[in-house]
Amino acid sequence: MKPDLNDPAWAWAPFQPDAARPWDLRLAAHLYRRAAFGGNWPELQRALSEGPQATVDRIVRPTPEAADFNRLYDDYENAAAASAGYGSQAWWLRRMIESPQPLQEQMTLFWHSYFGISNVHVKNNASLCRHTHVLRQRGMGSFEALLDAVLAQPAVWICLGAGADGKRRVSDNFARIVMEQYALGPGRCSDSDVHEGTRALSGWIVTQGELRFVPGEYDATPKKILGQEGDFDRKALVRILANHPATGHRLAQKLVRWFISDTTKPSDSLLAPLAKQLTGDGSMAKGVEMLLRSNLFFSAEAYRQKVRSPVELALGIIRPLEGRTGTVRLAADLAGLGQELYEPPTIQGWAGGLAWINPLTTLGRAKLAEALLAESGAYEGKLDPAAVAKRHGRATTDGGRQFLVELYLQGDLEAEALGALSAGASATGSVNTRAANPRQIAAGLASLPEFQLA
Amino acid sequence: MLLLVVAFSIHGEDLPPVSQWIPADAPIMVEVSEPMALLGPLLSPEFGKSVTTELENGKANLKLQEFQGVVAAVELQLGTNWRTALSRLAGKGVSFCVDPSGATLLAVDGEDEKLLSKLNDIIWQFASSGADQQNQPETAASPNYRGVKTWKLGTNEVHALLGSRLVVGNRTSFLNKVLDLRAEAGGKTLASSALFKAAREAVGKEAVASVFLNLQTLRAAPGLKKALEEDGNPVTALLLSDTKAALRSASWFALGVYVSDDKLILKTYTDGAAPESAKWSSFSTPPEASADLLPPLKVPGTIASLSLYRDLHSFYAAKNTLFPERTSGLIFFENMMGIFFSGIDLTEGVLSEVRPDVRVVVAKQQYDPAVGTPATQIPAFAAVLRLKDSQRFGETVEEAWQKAIGLANFTRGQQALPGLIIDKANQDGVKYTFSYYRPPADKSPGTIDARYNYRPSLARPGDCVILSSTDALARDLIDALKKAPTAQAKASSAVNSLMEIEGSALSAILEANREPMVRKNMVDKGDSREKAESDIQMLLVALGHLDHATLTLRRDASRPQAQLEIRFK
Repeated sequence: MKPDLNDPAWAWAPFQPDAARPWDLRLAAHLYRRAAFGGNWPELQRALSEGPQATVDRIVRPTPEAADFNRLYDDYENAAAASAGYGSQAWWLRRMIESPQPLQEQMTLFWHSYFGISNVHVKNNASLCRHTHVLRQRGMGSFEALLDAVLAQPAVWICLGAGADGKRRVSDNFARIVMEQYALGPGRCSDSDVHEGTRALSGWIVTQGELRFVPGEYDATPKKILGQEGDFDRKALVRILANHPATGHRLAQKLVRWFISDTTKPSDSLLAPLAKQLTGDGSMAKGVEMLLRSNLFFSAEAYRQKVRSPVELALGIIRPLEGRTGTVRLAADLAGLGQELYEPPTIQGWAGGLAWINPLTTLGRAKLAEALLAESGAYEGKLDPAAVAKRHGRATTDGGRQFLVELYLQGDLEAEALGALSAGASATGSVNTRAANPRQIAAGLASLPEFQLA
Repeated sequence: MLLLVVAFSIHGEDLPPVSQWIPADAPIMVEVSEPMALLGPLLSPEFGKSVTTELENGKANLKLQEFQGVVAAVELQLGTNWRTALSRLAGKGVSFCVDPSGATLLAVDGEDEKLLSKLNDIIWQFASSGADQQNQPETAASPNYRGVKTWKLGTNEVHALLGSRLVVGNRTSFLNKVLDLRAEAGGKTLASSALFKAAREAVGKEAVASVFLNLQTLRAAPGLKKALEEDGNPVTALLLSDTKAALRSASWFALGVYVSDDKLILKTYTDGAAPESAKWSSFSTPPEASADLLPPLKVPGTIASLSLYRDLHSFYAAKNTLFPERTSGLIFFENMMGIFFSGIDLTEGVLSEVRPDVRVVVAKQQYDPAVGTPATQIPAFAAVLRLKDSQRFGETVEEAWQKAIGLANFTRGQQALPGLIIDKANQDGVKYTFSYYRPPADKSPGTIDARYNYRPSLARPGDCVILSSTDALARDLIDALKKAPTAQAKASSAVNSLMEIEGSALSAILEANREPMVRKNMVDKGDSREKAESDIQMLLVALGHLDHATLTLRRDASRPQAQLEIRFK
């Protein structure tokens, strides 16, 4: 069904299945792909029996064990961040795989790309690790609290060139990034606003890896920012930015692109209700929940309209198979495909969409799928599609193949491709071992163009 | 009738060595001629009890229970305990070979034909019922070849019983080739290969086990080919000397395993020698006259101690031959040395002042309780060099070291990171320089940064220079050098490297790092915490039985030879 993008009331109304849009495995898997890096068979079956809104409830509500889980993984990540290498990124990937609240990790990844803080400039794993903890802890609350916490991170100041050399007064460039890139959007404030913002951010310096306030260096004279006058400091600047309508609009745009589609260009009127949820008394949780419940989210405008990022691709292979793999190697492989955690390429984050796909990465993605599902090698055969199929009552070759098709691609496989996969037995009746090998079937499915779309 | 004849001949067969059934082109052959001599101590009830207790006390219960369950079931079916069964089924030898296509064959020689047959029946029954249940007839089949009944368990296993010998392959074609060679006299077998004979002769009859590699064949494998190429890495070249060059020209490589009293000895042999053109290799060849290697140094908590003959001057003088490509790393190294040594030529002005005795010590370190202990405890390590003229050159080294610390401090300062404070102290009349980070002011002990593993230090006792990662190790080495014999230890002049490892200290440092190792295992392998703990416990239990190991590298008639002696507790 083609949605009406000029009708916000319809777009943001909670999705109710009907004959034209039934609640089926395709939509359940769509929800899990976007909000939880992919669902496993029991999760999908439960979603089918509970319906879309109850499933969204399950995904967005914090689980009782999430707090303990996150404390434990914070400790794992912090310890690994004390040394060089992919240690803490590997723990983050493991957290994405194991988290009882994967939406929280989706949002952490979203904010990691949104703020674009890179260890290429910070050169300190521990500092980046603390930054991602803040994104996780604050990522579903108010944007004002999140931006305030982000600007209290030394990694942000160092990455944006405002702290490493201990300058007392930051450059206008730093304030411009904070005001335009992190809040209002490009061209939404004047040079004068930016200069005044710079004065509001004065007094903060990074020494010995910590952000400190030096009162004597703070410019306490009155400032005029975005039409408001007063003795604005960093906190006041954040309040002004977070509550500006343009910030809500920009956040809504970014979230729609992240959760709905790489290509949709929503109108201002369509974004307005979502933007309202994200500013003022609203929160990111309210906005994301509204988005995931909406007709728009379950419409053809969203379905398979996003290219999976390398992280989403790998987790989309791993999570449905109810297993886990070594993530140190995975972190390195994902870096090779263009998504190195802790190192977004620019302050704009990862470009996403079709930028993920080129001849080299297409081959690399297929190779990663093959390696993850191989019986031995770098990932030591930790994922076992046959065992998962058997666990869910599909022990035979044909049953296992059908199970993997449903688990990975639901009904979205071209008839021709399905036919090729189904040619398990040759005309002589002997078994075609390649077509009968569940690992190779799963790797084949994960390499198909359909699987590259979330 | 034919079957009866074959059956009789198998039954009464006086089995020849397995190598007489293996094709001559097999590039890898492993033979354990006396399995019980090798495994004897490990199979004793006392050892088994001790390991079981350690595993139960630790967190390796998952694997242990699984293993114990399988063993108990097999013991019940066979009607004997597993130690007896193993001795009767495999006591006369175990061989393993790989053919050029990657097919493998395992041959196990026992003395109890009936017991072997019984075991086969049990396995066959188990596999057949499993295959029936899963509707996979290809999993269990039993075709005959050359009158020998073979059993096939799945797509990658095929085996046959030949008297008291069990032969297991991963491909039917390879097993059939072996059965062909067994049936027809005069075939080209590994036993008749000149390379294999030469390797066997070098290893000798006293070996309880041996490994043979046909390098003429294996060198074509991309992995080995790449490994044997000169990679331009100075550290590799310094440590391995011309071993790679020798292996590139070798036809075969062999490893012999010997048991002597309480020691296990592994020796390598090869027919390859470094070519004459490799003139630089002399840097690791002690001259005949002056010869002997200095004994490795020992300090409290020594984990490993290494003594090397490496003439750094002649090594670096040959850099254009060794490293024809001037990598950015090498250029950076030379630039830094130029800064530290105030522009003195590195080869002729610095390395020419150093004697060719290099010693390295790795030891467990004690942390100051007032500072705290890092989560990952890195052992202290130090290099001990000897100067030709300490009076003249000692202070130049000290100056270079202080410049290096200063540069590190400057770089850290640019990044707003804490620097090292340099201080001096005295140990038994020897003044030494050390540096340290200020203790963390606002962090509780136990959670401190990894940098607190380091307190870089330099000491100059006598004609030696100690470059140590901690001041404690520098002090211990000053004491050790005073106690060390002035005369050099007696060792063969051909020995150029000697490393000793202390099992208890190695176990202690690994035990101290148990939690970081468990965590590393979890993310490296994707294991659960329970599985990772179980694996690390197994490793620690195994290492807990290591008492002492000595690795020696020598050149015997220009051929590199390595010997590893392991003594167990």
